[in-house]
Amino acid sequence: MNIMTLQRYKNEIILLLTILFALFAFIYKLSANSYVQENQTMIQKQVAEINTISNLKGQWGGKNMTNRVKTLKTLVTASKVKSFNKKAKKLIATYRNLTANDLNKVTNKLINMPVQIVTLNINKNGKNQYSMELTCKW
Amino acid sequence: MLTLSLMDKNNNRLFIHKDMEPVTLEHSVEIILTPQFYTFIREDLDVKFTYQAKQIAASLFDDYIDSSINYQYHVNKCNEQWCFFAYNIEEIDQFLESIGIEKHRVSKIYFAQQLNDELEEPIYLSEKNILQTIDGIVTLIPTRLMEANSDYKPLNLSEIKLNSGITMGASLDSFISLKETIILGSLFFILGTIFITEGNRIKSSIYSENQKLNELLDKNPKYTSSLLRKSILEKYSPIDKKERKKRQSIKEISKFLSTKSQLQSLTIEKNMIVATIQTSDSTISKQVMTHAKAKKFRSTSNGLDIKVEKKL
Repeated sequence: MNIMTLQRYKNEIILLLTILFALFAFIYKLSANSYVQENQTMIQKQVAEINTISNLKGQWGGKNMTNRVKTLKTLVTASKVKSFNKKAKKLIATYRNLTANDLNKVTNKLINMPVQIVTLNINKNGKNQYSMELTCKW
Repeated sequence: MLTLSLMDKNNNRLFIHKDMEPVTLEHSVEIILTPQFYTFIREDLDVKFTYQAKQIAASLFDDYIDSSINYQYHVNKCNEQWCFFAYNIEEIDQFLESIGIEKHRVSKIYFAQQLNDELEEPIYLSEKNILQTIDGIVTLIPTRLMEANSDYKPLNLSEIKLNSGITMGASLDSFISLKETIILGSLFFILGTIFITEGNRIKSSIYSENQKLNELLDKNPKYTSSLLRKSILEKYSPIDKKERKKRQSIKEISKFLSTKSQLQSLTIEKNMIVATIQTSDSTISKQVMTHAKAKKFRSTSNGLDIKVEKKL
């Protein structure tokens, strides 16, 4: 192709170049779109996973629980705590002669504490008197 | 060869006329067409730009050229007037070929009219013709009309400054006009620019999320491993699910209780939560059972004692 041919078809060549430019730009836009679609889902999944892990670990990781479970002993008068055995990351506690109010206090405290309730036995022994056996771990 | 004597010292400019003899070229030339190859009109027109003048060029030549032949037009400003040239590039092309000048050797085409000042004195073109400006128009004059002892000065073409030349390629018609090229080209260019801008915007849309992920990974580098993340999730997710269910169930059971429906026992063991509620009358029993059912507890009654249970 010599210069003359280029000059003769310069309009067509210019038009062809602009069409190619638009075409490549369109392909670029499509690839950007698919790149974002692929990566956005992946990134969002990773962010959600890390956040969930942080939350779960923070909640159920058992940090400072050894001290926090002690409050279960002091919620009611000492005479009502029949036994309170804390070993490693496990607590076995028995309560007796709990009033409905006492029972509410202990239960509320327990369900707001991030421990795993292994067993829980609550029994009514008399009028407004309850006993409670609790095993939990963290 | 006489014709070659009309070429300049560097042999890069050449007058083209119909009596010329074949030439052999080894380099490109600029050709100067004699009036045999063009029709010339000079007009006073109230137009500012060349493209405007070019738009009316064809109509100016209506009475002078054969409308069945496809002519090209060249316009340039000469002093205060517009100079219009009509030429047939195919005819020129065929003639050049016949005298041995290949198309690609022609770098520029000029018109002899552009040398009107230099041609005030006649120059010898061939045995038949001389070239001279008469009343401002470069004209081909038969030598027989000249005096026998006329003296012709040689003309050094390389010293003459020529502007506004045209090219062979540009003279041949394109399939698409310049106007269409500009409109369509601009449209495609704008379209392409929009696509690129849009593409960049789309790409940058995940930038903030990517940054958030990087910040999280910087704080917790060990979570980079998807296997580790999966393993931690597998450990804690079931615990979270089960413990939330236990607590939710205890809260739901507590809502069944009142002065007329009191808790007798509550047990959480393995995967079951079981509670026994003592009610004061059958109406309360029914109410407790309805509420229990609504909360997806399985309930059974034994007199006024209601047993509710749910799998954890």
